[in-house]
Amino acid sequence: MRPKAWIVGLLLAPLLAHAALGDTLADVHRRGQLLWGADSEGGGPYVYPNPADPRQMTGFEAELAGLLAADLGVQARFVQGPWQNLPALLGTGQIDVVLNGYELTPARAGRMEHTRPYYIYQLALLGRRDNPRLTSWKDLDKSPGGEPKLKIGVLEASGAHTYLSQHYADKVEIVVYEGTTDAMREVETGKLDATLADLPAVIFYRHRFAALTQIGEPVGKGYYVMFVRQGEQALRDALDRSIDHLLADSRLQSLYEKYGLWSESQTELTLLSGRSDAELGIEATNLRGWAAIRSRGGLLLEAAGMTILLACVSMPLAMLLGLLVALGRMYGPAPLRWAMIAYIEVLRGTPLMLQLFVIFFLLPEIGFPIPSFYAAVAGLAINYSAYEAEIYRAGLQAVPRGQMEAAVALGMPLGMALRRIIIPQAARIVVPPITNDFIAMFKDTSVCSVITVMELTKQYSVQRNDTGATLELAALTALLYLLMSIPLSRLATVLERRFARQPRAAA
Amino acid sequence: MTIDEQQPALVVTKLVKSFGNNHVLSGVSLRVTRGEVCVLIGPSGGGKTTFLRCLNGLEDFQQGQIEVAGVTLSANLQPDKRGPLLEHVRRRVGMVFQQFNLFPHRTALGNVIEAPMHVLGQSRQAAVEQAKVLLARVGLEDKLDHMPDMLSGGQQQRVAIARALAMKPEVMLFDEPTSALDPRMAAEVESVIADLAASGQTMIVVTHSLRLARRAAHTLHVFENGQLVESGEPEQIFNAPQQDATRRFLFEAEGK
Repeated sequence: MRPKAWIVGLLLAPLLAHAALGDTLADVHRRGQLLWGADSEGGGPYVYPNPADPRQMTGFEAELAGLLAADLGVQARFVQGPWQNLPALLGTGQIDVVLNGYELTPARAGRMEHTRPYYIYQLALLGRRDNPRLTSWKDLDKSPGGEPKLKIGVLEASGAHTYLSQHYADKVEIVVYEGTTDAMREVETGKLDATLADLPAVIFYRHRFAALTQIGEPVGKGYYVMFVRQGEQALRDALDRSIDHLLADSRLQSLYEKYGLWSESQTELTLLSGRSDAELGIEATNLRGWAAIRSRGGLLLEAAGMTILLACVSMPLAMLLGLLVALGRMYGPAPLRWAMIAYIEVLRGTPLMLQLFVIFFLLPEIGFPIPSFYAAVAGLAINYSAYEAEIYRAGLQAVPRGQMEAAVALGMPLGMALRRIIIPQAARIVVPPITNDFIAMFKDTSVCSVITVMELTKQYSVQRNDTGATLELAALTALLYLLMSIPLSRLATVLERRFARQPRAAA
Repeated sequence: MTIDEQQPALVVTKLVKSFGNNHVLSGVSLRVTRGEVCVLIGPSGGGKTTFLRCLNGLEDFQQGQIEVAGVTLSANLQPDKRGPLLEHVRRRVGMVFQQFNLFPHRTALGNVIEAPMHVLGQSRQAAVEQAKVLLARVGLEDKLDHMPDMLSGGQQQRVAIARALAMKPEVMLFDEPTSALDPRMAAEVESVIADLAASGQTMIVVTHSLRLARRAAHTLHVFENGQLVESGEPEQIFNAPQQDATRRFLFEAEGK
């Protein structure tokens, strides 16, 4: 036991050392910089590349960071991170503060310190002008009555995501995106019926999407706050004071007015100084350990079901497609042979993620919208078919030439000779590499999260961000992947044994 | 022995085959009548095997033509006609290979019923009955359920002969059927071929075995350098060869 504890201690040492540092405010002053984390990808009007100089960031939060830093007597320095992973970035110590339209939620309040609110947000529903199924909030309440559920896109782990899950979980299909504008584009192409997003983003982007319109009134009032690491009260208090300064001399109001974000409702901000969580209407929760696993294990299990479904539907298709490609490449006329070689090279030579993007995001632009699940299956099947084709080719070439000659010499047409004589012999050769690819595919399904499929890795990411129980949920996720691959390895062994040439005595 | 001169089973006219500048066959003509057992001998590289493989379309050729099974194979067939024509020919012309080429994933019986069932559309029962008769004829009635890798080379070649016979071929082609076998196994296969020859089956046999040639042949043909240099009855060829090439080959072959 002792050496093990020693190793664990070694692994945890950097984390503990970091936690012990403690005084980030002093660090900020020492280095003269406030490192603020945000995501500039599709980030208007919060933080986005300055159109005049794309290397500089602009947006109301970029300017707010500048004002706050100035108030603290330091410079603001922007650090780019994926929006849903900013708390993780904060945890690693690479940023001092998360400042990016982060709503105050019980789970976030439970794992990080938060400042006073600096903006009061609402959620706006954005739909298509010409969509008769969705013209008001009431349409979300209607039972579908045979028709598929309305599909509403939200930013992963956003307040909109929480709002929809709490109020409409059973009534609509919630589709999770990593970028606000991705979801808006999908509403325009018709893949989604609407997207629920924070009002500032909707105001900023809606003119770019001519076919979209705001549906009904904004809902779900809440607060944007900044987050610092647990135990960093000094930094939090300093930021709180600075926000108070900006409010007191109306600099914040001018800033919001500049971006068209000021309204009467924001005047409430001045009253929110020093309010407790309870007064702001939330109760901090900290879901860790077994509680996190009990609470989120079911969701992970469900997502594992999606992973299994994706792999089990895609792999047989990939095997079938791969076989046709291999046969075309080996026995087809010259133009077909060249086409098949090109097919294999292009698919093996470009990333799976890019292929999924093309199928899911680009095909709708030219008029072929494909639901995400089918796009994922198509992407996986097509990508893997190239690899399977090469495995089949190796298998077919390993069958002695004389077998084909013997088959055709008996009068068999080419197709029959392949089907009855060549392919059965190639099968025993290709079983091990194909099972290997099948196991690999279970893990490659995680790439499908980029096209909004809620599979295991994506669900892990969502739940980890929601709870902060990174380690516990990661262990459970890894265990679930293992539980999928071990039976497959067993199956592979059984198949290999069955296909292996076994001398058989007289029956 | 009766040979019906009026009914040719196979007529080959001026067959030319070359790989680039290398002429493998330079204008070979040959006529095989029904029931004739015709044995091709000659030094290695003389073109015997290539000639045989042209007869059922395993090799193509540049000039000349082959009349067999009621159709004519010519050098420049349209690709869309070639396939069906070759299938027609191959259903009526059986072939036995030097390396046996049994289907390793099928039993001995499975090998023999494969083509009758799937090419000719026979019922399983009919195909199995026929296969049992044929396997008994080659002396393997007790090996029906053996996989090929459980059989000796000689046994495998006898299954291969039964497999070809199951199609009731008009002509049987043998490509060095005993070359891959040790002397004892070669002898058992030669017996089967000799019995078959005696039964009136039309056969063309490429072999290096002069013993088989003596035992089974009605006609001997000597190939050298892509040409048919001499033809005749075995007696005449062995005892009074007319050509230097024949004498040279016989001297070397018997000298061993």
